[in-house]
Amino acid sequence: MATLTVTQNFGKGASDLSVYRSLGGYSSLGPRLFDLSQFELIDLVTRSGLRGRGGAGFPTGMKWSFVPRGSGKPVYLVVNADEGEPGTFKDHVLMLEDPHRLIEGMIICGWALGVRSAYIYVRGEFLPAIETLNRALKQAYDAGLLGENIQGTGYSLDIYVHRGAGAYICGEETALINSLEGYKGQPRLKPPFPAVSGAWASPTCVNNVETLMALPWILENGPAAYQALGTPKSGGTKVFSVSGDVKRPGVYEVPMGTPLMELLEGKDLCQGIVGELKGVIPGGSSSPVLTAEEARKANLDYEALAALKTMLGSGAVIAFNTTRDVVGMLASLTRFYAHESCGQCTPCREGTGYADRILKGVVARKGRDGDLEHMLDLAANFSNTTICPLASADAWPIENFIGKFRPEFEKAVAANPGHAAPRLDDDFRPGAFW
Amino acid sequence: MSNSYHMPVLPKPDAKKVTINVDGRDVEVPEGTNLVEALKSIGIATPHFCYHPDLPVAGNCRQCMVETDGPRGMGLAIACYTPVRAGMKVATDLSSEKVKTARKAVMEFQLANHPLDCPICDKAGECSLQDNYMSAGGHTSRMREDIGKLYKGAPEHRHLDAKGQERGGKHLDLGPNVVLDQERCILCDRCVRFMRDVAGSEQLYIAGRGDHAFLSTFPGSELDHEYDLNVTDVCPVGALTGKHFRFRQRVWNLVSTPSIDPTDSLGANITVDHHEGQAWRIMPRRNPEVNRSWIHNETRLAYRKLSENRLAAGLFGKSEVPLPQAASRLGELVRGARKLALVASGHLTLEDNAAILALAQFLGSRAEVFGGSWLAAGKPDNIARSGDPVPNRLGLKLLGIADNLDELTRRAKEFDVLVVAGHDLWKIAPSRAKALEAIPERIVLSSWHDDSVSKATLSVGVRAWAEVRGTMVNCQGRVQMLQAAPILPSPDLEPVWQILSSAGRLGWTSELDAFRFAQGRIPALAGLTYRTIGPMGRILEGVVA
Repeated sequence: MATLTVTQNFGKGASDLSVYRSLGGYSSLGPRLFDLSQFELIDLVTRSGLRGRGGAGFPTGMKWSFVPRGSGKPVYLVVNADEGEPGTFKDHVLMLEDPHRLIEGMIICGWALGVRSAYIYVRGEFLPAIETLNRALKQAYDAGLLGENIQGTGYSLDIYVHRGAGAYICGEETALINSLEGYKGQPRLKPPFPAVSGAWASPTCVNNVETLMALPWILENGPAAYQALGTPKSGGTKVFSVSGDVKRPGVYEVPMGTPLMELLEGKDLCQGIVGELKGVIPGGSSSPVLTAEEARKANLDYEALAALKTMLGSGAVIAFNTTRDVVGMLASLTRFYAHESCGQCTPCREGTGYADRILKGVVARKGRDGDLEHMLDLAANFSNTTICPLASADAWPIENFIGKFRPEFEKAVAANPGHAAPRLDDDFRPGAFW
Repeated sequence: MSNSYHMPVLPKPDAKKVTINVDGRDVEVPEGTNLVEALKSIGIATPHFCYHPDLPVAGNCRQCMVETDGPRGMGLAIACYTPVRAGMKVATDLSSEKVKTARKAVMEFQLANHPLDCPICDKAGECSLQDNYMSAGGHTSRMREDIGKLYKGAPEHRHLDAKGQERGGKHLDLGPNVVLDQERCILCDRCVRFMRDVAGSEQLYIAGRGDHAFLSTFPGSELDHEYDLNVTDVCPVGALTGKHFRFRQRVWNLVSTPSIDPTDSLGANITVDHHEGQAWRIMPRRNPEVNRSWIHNETRLAYRKLSENRLAAGLFGKSEVPLPQAASRLGELVRGARKLALVASGHLTLEDNAAILALAQFLGSRAEVFGGSWLAAGKPDNIARSGDPVPNRLGLKLLGIADNLDELTRRAKEFDVLVVAGHDLWKIAPSRAKALEAIPERIVLSSWHDDSVSKATLSVGVRAWAEVRGTMVNCQGRVQMLQAAPILPSPDLEPVWQILSSAGRLGWTSELDAFRFAQGRIPALAGLTYRTIGPMGRILEGVVA
């Protein structure tokens, strides 16, 4: 059994404070944490190689070091628990199983940045997690682990749970901050970045649930031990939510650099593929899909997946077998992004919906020759031209699904008996005029 | 959308210049501005929809993309949110194929759900979408008929919201002044930003998200604000139109004549848009120092009065006479007066008031000039109004005309002839003006059949504010030009200065003669000409502390 740094308390009822404490919880809230200065703590996290687990994989220590000191404004910590990427469900389970570890991680981060108020922005649909968190927070407050003067150290921290209103885009940190402030959840123009001017125009650190939950272990066992768990550039372990055609889908924690097939076929892990593997989406719906052949070569760390032109993302592995219709899969993804585009930037707002309508036509056997090229061209045009990466997150699956499973898409287009017919209006549309 | 509020940094006249490289050429641009303005300063137009120099930057239309150099080499960035940096490299569509493609792509996306109803759209002719399509788009539509547009104007989108208000659909009534055609909206959110950040009353918002988002008022409330017609100006397409102008004229027929707000002493810069001798609308004219891009609804609707109830002839009492006859009668009365009271007006230009002073000078001790106004000044709203309804009040003061109308009413019995120009005294304060009826010959020079005309023994129709060339001094001490729009209701109408010049045999042949006379009275005007005053006006030194 590999070392677990985040999920070690799963199935032990650790959502209760006494159980969590009996498992060694909150042990860092003593000299181990409070004897460290802010700089020592940030340096420790930097040395651990911990990278943001929400999807972008930005080094956590570096992110913290961007938060300005002595700006005269309060520093806010916002936990991004707005887990909405199709296929991702690790944060929900983490919060349900081990909410106190998140609270402990938040206290550690709060100490590093001098935070007085912290927020957990939870996806609105996660009611059980919200209830669990609130219960855990109450226990922590009652035990003097939160609030004024934590355990007589003079450090005070308040944590609030904020329930989101159900928009995928609020997982983007500036949209999340807007939503937290009560505005419409739409990404902000950058710069300024949240580290400088985030919530209420104050320095704000936005971290993923899993990132913060790794902190207690790092503090207990030291940064070198954490770094040693993974690869040189991607330290530690990563929690994966595996779904699709595997024998035992679920949430698994494996060290960085583990081969993808080991996760899918390992005895303690997913125990193998149902049917014959056709492809894997390695890091959430927006990450480019891998064919079965590529999946066999893939290792689960940031660099190895980047080399395969995909990404680790949030660690949502979706495996599918040869019985699955990739055209329908892509259609449900484009529908998702068209529905969740915040509607701010033109290319994303209009482009995701346009591409979705074309693919819908293909699925409904109304495809025409040239539809695939049209979609690819639209995808190329709406990626990288917007405020946030949502449009790109739609473009990657479009480009990769069509690119890697092209014959199936062509078959779907050919299913329309009139697929080669010219445009109805070609002959009366004077190109020079319209 | 948030508390992050980024007003564009606009070039100041005295801004330091920095050198940047645009399309391979080193050029000097004002420091610190955004690239849209910087490129504009060297004559490169950047197509855009959501950017507006007087609104916070939203950066959502993505039309203004240029390539700039960054740590990872040249990359696309929106020009409206990229500040000028000394030594930076910029590539526009003139040199970069990538920029051209990106702009063309955005244009295609903008049009993906926009109807092709230009022939029946009021904005056609002054539409950003049309302009930008011609400059940055030019693609042939790839939209297939069976994919179709997400047509928000379809009847099935019309519905009643929880509070029983009609939403969605075509020509949706947003309030007393503005109509929304939902399907034309490109969601640039300029109108939302105008209402929130300029008008200070958030009455519009964009509901929903993605391509199914739509502009709306809040449930149960409507768009009703004294500046709300400005949203029809900032709207880059024909989604928001004003009820006052909707379907009245095609805009390419209109000719714009620059003028000044006649209803307020801030003197918001406007244009009077006319066609074939009739004014059809008033539009704001951007002046960053005065009204930025905004005008009050009352200013905007002031054009209506130009063709309503006009006095286009002379009146002996109630009987109408041709204008020349009325004017010569005026001359006889004035020259034959024993004691003449001349009432100058802050509603008239400096030139007209100069003629009043010149006439008084000609008549010597037989004439006395009174001035000022019974209209009280209110509070400035910090948008486009100072609150003072007398546009040239400061000009009158500079000419040395005292605010002494009450003295005139007190001493009314001393005079035998009264000349009131451009000033409806009997309407503004009937009880105070009643004392003036003691003067046997009451001559009123007015553009309208107003209350003063009904009390006059002789009325002479004169040109209205939009029909004269002249100058006014606004409350900031800025002298500004009015130009004459060719919209006279009768070709015989003359400006006040011309009638008085004839009456006093002053021999003035143009408003320049009157302006020269005013320059003699106002030292601060010395050295200025109509040309140097220019379209933006000139601050008079030392006039306002």
